[in-house]
Order: sequence, then C-alpha cells, then structure tokens
Amino acid sequence: MNPNPSFIRIVGLQRRYEMGGTIVRALDGVDIDIAERTFTVVMGPSGSGKSSLLYLLGGLDRPTAGEIYVNGERLDQMDENALARFRRKTMGFIFQSFNLISSMTALENVAFPMQFSGTPAARRNERAKELLAQVGLADRAQHKPSELSGGQQQRVAVARALVNDPALVFADEPTGNLDTQSGVTIMQMLADLHKSGRTVLVVTHDPRMVRFATNKIFLLDGKAVSEAEYQAVALEPLQANFGG
Amino acid sequence: MKFLDLLRLVFNNLSRRKARVALTAIGVVIGTSAVVILVSLAIGLQMNANEQLYGIGDLSLINVMPSYGGGGGGGMIYGGGGGGMTETGDTKLLTNNALQELRAIPNVVSVIPREYVSANVFVTYKKLQGYSNVYGVGTDDLANLGLKTQQGNSLLSRSSIVIGYMVAQNFMDPNQRPGQEPPPPPDLYDQQVQLVFAKYDDQGNEIRKNYSMRVVGVLAESGSEADYSIYLPLDLVKSVNEWASNTTINYNKVGYNEVLVRASDPDHTLEIRDQITAMGFQANTMLDFVQGINNFYSILQIVLGGVGAIALLVAAIGIANTMAMSILERTREIGLMKAVGATNRDVLSLFLGEAAGIGFIGGLGGAALGWLLGQILNVVAIIYLAQQAAAQGGVPPSVAVYTPIWLPVFVLAFSIFIGMLSGLYPALRAANMIPVLALKYE
Repeated sequence: MNPNPSFIRIVGLQRRYEMGGTIVRALDGVDIDIAERTFTVVMGPSGSGKSSLLYLLGGLDRPTAGEIYVNGERLDQMDENALARFRRKTMGFIFQSFNLISSMTALENVAFPMQFSGTPAARRNERAKELLAQVGLADRAQHKPSELSGGQQQRVAVARALVNDPALVFADEPTGNLDTQSGVTIMQMLADLHKSGRTVLVVTHDPRMVRFATNKIFLLDGKAVSEAEYQAVALEPLQANFGG
Repeated sequence: MKFLDLLRLVFNNLSRRKARVALTAIGVVIGTSAVVILVSLAIGLQMNANEQLYGIGDLSLINVMPSYGGGGGGGMIYGGGGGGMTETGDTKLLTNNALQELRAIPNVVSVIPREYVSANVFVTYKKLQGYSNVYGVGTDDLANLGLKTQQGNSLLSRSSIVIGYMVAQNFMDPNQRPGQEPPPPPDLYDQQVQLVFAKYDDQGNEIRKNYSMRVVGVLAESGSEADYSIYLPLDLVKSVNEWASNTTINYNKVGYNEVLVRASDPDHTLEIRDQITAMGFQANTMLDFVQGINNFYSILQIVLGGVGAIALLVAAIGIANTMAMSILERTREIGLMKAVGATNRDVLSLFLGEAAGIGFIGGLGGAALGWLLGQILNVVAIIYLAQQAAAQGGVPPSVAVYTPIWLPVFVLAFSIFIGMLSGLYPALRAANMIPVLALKYE
C-alpha cells in the first residue's frame, strides 16, 4: 500500500499563550503536510515553536485555532479520553529528560503504557523484554533509572515508546541530555524505526540529526519557513559577528 | 486499566513513600480507634443497662387501666371499686365486656383483672408481722401472668395464697426492743399465715377481719413488684373490699381497677399497647421504659462516635494534604501517564485508590487497635465495677465495653470512604491536568 501523503496534516495552526500579561504566539498559522513513513526533523531556534508543534501533533496540548489531522482523525475536536486512547494506539513519545518513573525497573517502565490498554501482565513483560533486548538492555531489565546512564535511560524510553507498536513516534530533543556517543546511538535507533516503516518526527537543535531526515521543517517565530530563509536568519548573527 | 493492575500500581506507589504514608495513616488509626473504643463503650453501657432492665419485669405484660376522660382525673385508681362510678362519654371502664374486647386483640394470650385491697392489711406468722402489696387476681393459676414459683405451686384458692420472693424478708417482730437482734426471715412455704384486714367505723374504732391461709407457693425472683406481693383469688379481695366499703361491687358497672394483658411475645407488646390505647384505655408496659433507655444509649453512641469522628476528620485533612503534596511532586509522572495513553479516569482511579489505600491501612490499624484497647478496657472496667458492686451492693456487670463484629468492619469501610473523599479533590486535579503543562512542570 502506498504511503499516505498527508498522514499528518495541519491547517492554519495557531497556539498562543498568555505570559505575564503579554500574548506569546508560539505558532502563528502553520500549514504542514507530513507523509507516512517519513523521518521528519523539525528545526528552529529556541522559542520558534518546535516543541509546541510536537505537543499539538501528539494531542498533548490544544490549539488556539486551526485543524490537526493524524491518520485521517481530527485531533483538535477529540475529547480528552478519545485523545488518550488515540495516543495509546497510534503514538509513542521520547522526551529530552527521559521521563522514566524512578521507582520502577527498566522492564516495568517499558511495560507501563500497556497497563492502560488492559494487556495481561505476562504479555506485557514478554513484550518489554523483547524491546529491551532490541535496544541492547536485556541485561539491565531489573535496574532502576538511577542505576542506568543517561544514554541507557533514553534507550529505555525508546523501548517504552515502541511498546504499543505505534505508527508514529515523536521525539522532543532526544539527544539534548546525552553525550555525543549516546546521542549517535539514539539517532541511529530513530533511523531504524523509520526504516521499519514508522513515521518519525523529531524536534531537535542537533544538526547531526538532519542527515537521517527524509523531510525537514524549519520554524522561525512560530511560522514555517523554507530552508533558505532559515539558513539566512539562523546564520545571520554568525555572519554579522565573524564576517562569514 | 484492569482492577488488579490498578491495585498493584496503588500498592507500589504507596510503598514508594512509606514514611509519609505511615504518618498519615497514624492519624487515621487514632481517629478510627477512637470511634471503635467510644462506640464500644456506649454499646457496652447499653448492654449493661439492658441486662439490668430485662430483669425488672415481664416485657410481654401490659398494665391496662380505665380512662376517666379529661375531667375524671385520668389515670387515678379509685379505691376499692365501690365508688359507683359509671361509664360516660369519655370514660372507658374495664368491665367484663371490655375484657372480652381485649381478649379479641391478636397475639393476646391472657387478660386477667387485678384488684387492690382497699382495707389496711398485714400478715402475721407466729409472733412475726409483715407488710406487703396484696392483690386479688382473676385467675386460679399465677402461671397465666407469666409468674414462676421457686417453691410449691402457683395455684390460688379461697384458703391458699402465693407469696413473692422477698415477702418473708419484710417480716418483723412488733415487740422487738431497741438494740435487740432482729429475727431471721421466716420460711413461710407451706405454713399457715393470718391475713388481717382492718377498717374503721364512724366512731374511729378499728374493725378487723382475719383469714387463715396456707402459703402454697413462693414465687421465683423476677426483679418486679411480684417479688414483694401476696396474691389472692379475686373473689376473696372483692368480698374484703365490699366489707371495707359496705357496698356491693358489680364489675360490669364500675369496672376493674386494673387488667394485666399478656402478649404472646415481647415483639407484639407495643402493637397491642397501641391498640389498647386506641380503644380508649390507659396502657403501660415496661418495654416503653426499656425503649426510652435504649433510645438514650443510641444517642450516646452517636455522640461518642461523633467525638471519635472529629479525630477522623483531622486525619482526613492529613490524607488530603498528603495526596495534594504527592500530586505536586508527581506532576511530570501524571503528564507521562497521559502521554502514554492513560485516560482521565485512569489517573483519577489511581490517585483515589492511593487515598483509599491510606484510609484502608489506617482503618485496619485503627479497627484492630480499637478492638484491642476495648478488650483491655473491658477487663479493667469489669474488675473495677465488680469491686464497686461488692462494696455498695448490686449485681456486677458481665460487660462494660463491647465491640460488635459490625463495628470494626463498618469503621474500616468508613475510613476507606473518608480516604477517597479526602483524596477526591487532589485526584480530580490530577485527572484534569493538561498533559503538556504536567510534562513541562518544574
């Protein structure tokens, strides 16, 4: 079956916050189509609206205006419980700060999301072990997050994101808290997820991620811009200071 | 989420914060144990009172008296029945026809008239003299009044009487000199005694009438007025009263002083009493008194339970505080739960479960501690009250603090409910958190 060219579609997406009496336009009328089974990297400087975009696409936040479609479902009109079920079935999340539950072992953290779908414990453990083996942590299954390195914790988080076998994986600065080698490992894992047929969307500052991307989105001040515009603005301060 | 998974998660989350959960649960332990002890104490007091009260008389017996209407001095018992009072508009006399009406009430097993002696009366036995209530009853066997004998039988005749358990205790020597040892109570069973009735003529001269009677039975102790009474056949008392008042008594016209109605079972006593009252008579039963006492102890239970509940209320605030703190600390975890597919209901169930868990731990500890302290208090109180009873007279209590099985069960369920109620607001806050804000919470 051919990939859906509008697996993710957003139309006129706006997200405004009120901070200290002033309105912040995190996203200011963004229109994007993302095809199925692509590796999309969203780039932009701090405050450009990258993370806001990811959270809106993940149904973790509500837009001020605009429409969000994922796999044909309109997210911005779903109620909280429908969104929760949609996330559970369709999406996996990887966060910069890992967000593992400190009292649980690696195995329990990976199996955790399956509890909400009512999967039996034996099946949950079997699946979690399988995924920990895939991310190279089979021998650390009974270790708690505090007993794992940052890279290992993020690998546990990757395994957790995959436990419900989602079609779409979101990663928010997945290498932001990692050393260089661990960052590369995670990038390679995300690339492998894409190769296995998943749609991957990564929000990052890390320019190394671009080489894995099949699709790039550049954001500046809450608006989607072309790579040329982005390069011009992003490199402008360097050129001004160093005459490059 | 499956219920077992929820329970496991609740258990794990509570285990993560052992010290805080324990401290919060101690508050619940204090509150619930206070409820258990105080309510047990009130129940013990009630049982103790009932133990004493149930001995004071037959609870299936109803004393029925005529009604003399609004202006007739309602409830006053006229002396001797010879007064020629007849039935008028509001007056309801206990005539033989009225007795037939009473017998027709369902669950009534006997309707027996009882008359007082209107003359002065005392009993003599050898050199001793005794004073007692003397009644004439319209039955030849006192068993029909529910009275039992400890010696002899309960059958009455023109020459035989049955006396109460304490009657012999009231005999004394009229010639006893000051400082002289009083004679021991006589054993009157199967003895011939003299019943002496006295009246005064117009000149103030005493006129006596003696009856020689054999004591055919001594009643067993009942704790009621029967212990101090002497029972004669009704006909004999009627003739004494006619002699005393110089009139002829026709019960069909003037009615009886009092009628004793017996219900088949104490459960029917009140309904029969109500029917008799509806017929226009006055009716009293010991059960009214017992019920009044029971109502008092029920109120005492509520009041003492309420005092304990104040401690539980303080504990509830502790649970709410602990849960609010926990939710604040675990905000990112809540965000994560939502990101990986937990519904608002899953989050609500988890935090309500944790609050209920604290209530359960505290309730279990409190119910056990309350029961244990109640047992200890019971032993100590019984020893103390038995010493008091020995020193001051009276029956030592068999129970002072009693914990019925429903009480710890109720208290445990109630503390779980209190836990959930206290955790409701924090849990609702957790359930309604916006995922992105929870995930970004610092």
